[in-house]
Amino acid sequence: MTKAQTQFLLLIVGAAVLLLLPVMSGNYTLRLATIMMMYATLAMAWNFIGGFTGYPSFGIAAFFGLGAYAGAVVQARGVPVVLAWAFAIVIGSLFAYALGLILLRLRGHAFAIATLVIAEVLRELTNGMTDLTGGGMGLNLPFFGWGPDALGRFFFYAMFALAAITLATTYIVAHSRLGFGLNCIKQNEDAADIVGINTTRYKIIAFTLSGGFAAAAGGLYASWTGYIEPSDVYDILFSIKPILMVLLGGMGTIFGPALGAVVFLVLDEIVWRNFLQLHTGILGLLIVILILFLPAGVLSFDWRALLKKKVSAT
Amino acid sequence: MFDIKAAGAAVASAILIACSMGQAAHAADKVYRIGAPLPLTGGLSPEGLRMKSGYDLWAEKQNAAGGIKAGNDSYKVEIIYSDYQSNTPRAVQSAELMITENKVDALFAPFGSGATKAVSAVSEKYGVPMIAAQAASAQVYDQGFKYLFGMYTPNDTVVKPLVDLVLKSDPSIKRVAVLSRNDLFPLAIAEEFLKYAKAKGFEIVSDQKYPIGTVDFSSALTQIRASKPDWIYTTGYTNDNILIRKQMQEQGVKTRLIAMLIGPTTPEFIANTGKLAENVVTASWWDVAAKFKGDDVFGSAEGFEKAFRAQNDNRYPDYSVASAAACGVVLALAVNKAGTVEKPKVRDQIAALDAHTFYGHIKFGPTGQIESLKPPTMQIQNGQPTVVDPVEIKQADIRFEPK
Amino acid sequence: MIFFQYLVNGLILGGLYACIATGFSLVWGVLSIINILHGSFIVLGAYIGIFSYTMLGIHPFVSVITAGIVLGALGYVVQLGIINRVVAQSVLVTLILTFGLELMMNNAMLVAFTADYRKVILEKSLGVLEIGNVFIAMDRAVATVIAFVLIFLLWLLMRLTSIGRAIVAVRFDREAASLMGIDVKKTYAITFALGGAMAGAAGSLMSVSFPISPLSGPLFLSKAFVICILGGVGSVPGAALGGLIFGMLESFGAVFFGAEYALTLAFIVLIILLLVRPHGLLGVKGF
Repeated sequence: MTKAQTQFLLLIVGAAVLLLLPVMSGNYTLRLATIMMMYATLAMAWNFIGGFTGYPSFGIAAFFGLGAYAGAVVQARGVPVVLAWAFAIVIGSLFAYALGLILLRLRGHAFAIATLVIAEVLRELTNGMTDLTGGGMGLNLPFFGWGPDALGRFFFYAMFALAAITLATTYIVAHSRLGFGLNCIKQNEDAADIVGINTTRYKIIAFTLSGGFAAAAGGLYASWTGYIEPSDVYDILFSIKPILMVLLGGMGTIFGPALGAVVFLVLDEIVWRNFLQLHTGILGLLIVILILFLPAGVLSFDWRALLKKKVSAT
Repeated sequence: MFDIKAAGAAVASAILIACSMGQAAHAADKVYRIGAPLPLTGGLSPEGLRMKSGYDLWAEKQNAAGGIKAGNDSYKVEIIYSDYQSNTPRAVQSAELMITENKVDALFAPFGSGATKAVSAVSEKYGVPMIAAQAASAQVYDQGFKYLFGMYTPNDTVVKPLVDLVLKSDPSIKRVAVLSRNDLFPLAIAEEFLKYAKAKGFEIVSDQKYPIGTVDFSSALTQIRASKPDWIYTTGYTNDNILIRKQMQEQGVKTRLIAMLIGPTTPEFIANTGKLAENVVTASWWDVAAKFKGDDVFGSAEGFEKAFRAQNDNRYPDYSVASAAACGVVLALAVNKAGTVEKPKVRDQIAALDAHTFYGHIKFGPTGQIESLKPPTMQIQNGQPTVVDPVEIKQADIRFEPK
Repeated sequence: MIFFQYLVNGLILGGLYACIATGFSLVWGVLSIINILHGSFIVLGAYIGIFSYTMLGIHPFVSVITAGIVLGALGYVVQLGIINRVVAQSVLVTLILTFGLELMMNNAMLVAFTADYRKVILEKSLGVLEIGNVFIAMDRAVATVIAFVLIFLLWLLMRLTSIGRAIVAVRFDREAASLMGIDVKKTYAITFALGGAMAGAAGSLMSVSFPISPLSGPLFLSKAFVICILGGVGSVPGAALGGLIFGMLESFGAVFFGAEYALTLAFIVLIILLLVRPHGLLGVKGF
């Protein structure tokens, strides 16, 4: 089997296992799996602008929060849930597009800071618009009157669908002219410009994809949780964690972000369960270790060599 | 590019470790387990720690008194905590983990109405009684859930008595300035106040919100000064109100009545503001000054204060720690009456509870929200928190600054 | 005149803000590192001010020195031991590294000090000065003066000492400075130490007027972002000017837009500045 075939096969097996999960496992596992797919989506969303294009975006939290609020605000006013998600995607993409027009002129540190503060601005605006969003009191959504079991499954499948679409888009982008162009921008933007790649247009497309998918995840998240508040959904960790996941899994790769999300969340879950008071600090320590020792991703680490060494030693 | 198989193996083994680590030991018999997801880190962590200190105090007292008696058995109280990082889905996740893996007998709800509502869907499904220390919104209890109970009356019950009292005591008070913290509870209180004050004919001359974490109020206060209010109504937590009161003086703000929710009755407020504390009014669901008596492990509000101070560096217990401890008291009384720890029976006894405690009279309404509580209104008079409303427990009349 | 009250409020705030941002700006300018730890440095400095007063009776204005030394030492060690390993890498890596360190430091402070807000209650407050209809809180005014003195001292250090000149040289051209025999690694560590020292000093000054909790860190940090961009990254006088402008912006901005949008306004100014004047208002590539 070629490498591509192996990957494809593994993908099919992975998807099948995931789809069978609701039948085979308890609600808690299902909840964890839903969270993992949400983060996988966010990581892949970041990968468009951060991984493929090489722009240090810290804006995922902004798009995620905006999507959550856009969806929740219309859903609370009686719009059916799927339409509310569509609305979240539209708003998120439009916002990312408009923002891209302005911010993508910046590079490096300036771009990082600008995207970082966007979430803060949106948080304050959301907080201030009490009539629309409930401000600091948060926004309650109607449960649709289903039992928690059915609800858990519904959102599991919805999140699965979103992650699958994001993965498919990643694949398409990577194998298209767009992906090639983005990679050129990453290598050397000025040179890419000179050889005739429309860098502005490509960057904006990547940024819009990033915003749209993050907003979609936000929309799903809001109706899944049933309650959102500004400090919850605009949390800076929503910007940081997807980046770490991509760093773990490999920048600008197709399956890296999703794999990174799984690895990171497993670590996160272990730390969270076992350290009541210290888990954020230990998470910080993990981040520091990851950055210092594995800057090119976990997958850059030669696991196979390690395993072989062990095998031969025994 | 990368090696998918090796990574898969690593992930699988990590998941196995995660699962095996989650199994808690179910060793000792006769333990009454309560799960309490708390926001120990993140923005809500001060609130989370206050709740925890209330739960811990109750658990210690209850265990010192021989645990919870149910029929011929007595159960030792064990509270299982988790940190949901001020993040609502994590709270729901924690609750589900506690119910399915730690096999808890009851739950204490997370902080705030939103998170409580989200978690209540899970506790209801598994039929686990859950008592909410910090959820006042009526929407939380409107869902027709049987296993959810709340220790606070709706927010308007905290706001309305003061407005009525001011209206009755001094009709010359007309112009009101409102300064509120843009945060769950303080904002909800301010919104209730604005609604009710407008309906009662007060003129709102200034209405401002400040973001969480504000340390400088000079600009907002200068605006308030310019609007010449008769009455200033601020909402926030103790530290916000200490700062606001001090900066009012620094900015030369003068008015006839200052109302501040929450905090003025705490010794921190009085120590920090000194003479400036005089005549500040406040209201909350509970206060030591209301001097409730009861037959729980604390005996009285003063008894609770003493016990709390002994355990917490002599800090003053506010309504939120009292409410948290009262959750435990409610559970203990209900298990006692039920004579068993079976969840449906305990639930029925909570619903039927009618008891006098250090927290006041406890009786839940048909939705599960407490309805017997009458939040007191207090004023600092001669350096002491003094109840000015309701009439039943009133200690003095409300005072105003001269014109 | 209510206008003068807003002006005075803005000035007093501005001094403290300048002090918050100077160290952050210096580190960003010289090391190209956006130091997310800076907020927690300020908070730790404030705790030193608070505990020195409650336990030893030392006035926080005096503790500025100890807080500066302690945080300076911490900054030196953190830079040399940890951050220096990735100092040349992209902003993605360095920012996330300092974010991870910030999580650790914040958690440690949360465990050590709890999330409760603390403040110094001075036994002898300097009181309030009333001029006409303008009120000035003297403790805060003095803190502002000290803040400007500290910034001035830092500026002198940069101009007059050899280490200051080395920092400036590294900032302009790392390669050339290295060729000229400047120990870049050591210069980086000293710069980071100076940044930490300024943060610690600012924290101790703040403890007189503002309550502090480990949760306050991000708030200070976001203000530092804006001030730093306002004044120009890496510029000491720029940070002083940026702090003053930011103080005015908050004071007057609240009048027109409401206090709740103060930060939003500041961030919008930041983004506009990034786009039109990326080198700050002063526009000079000095120090």
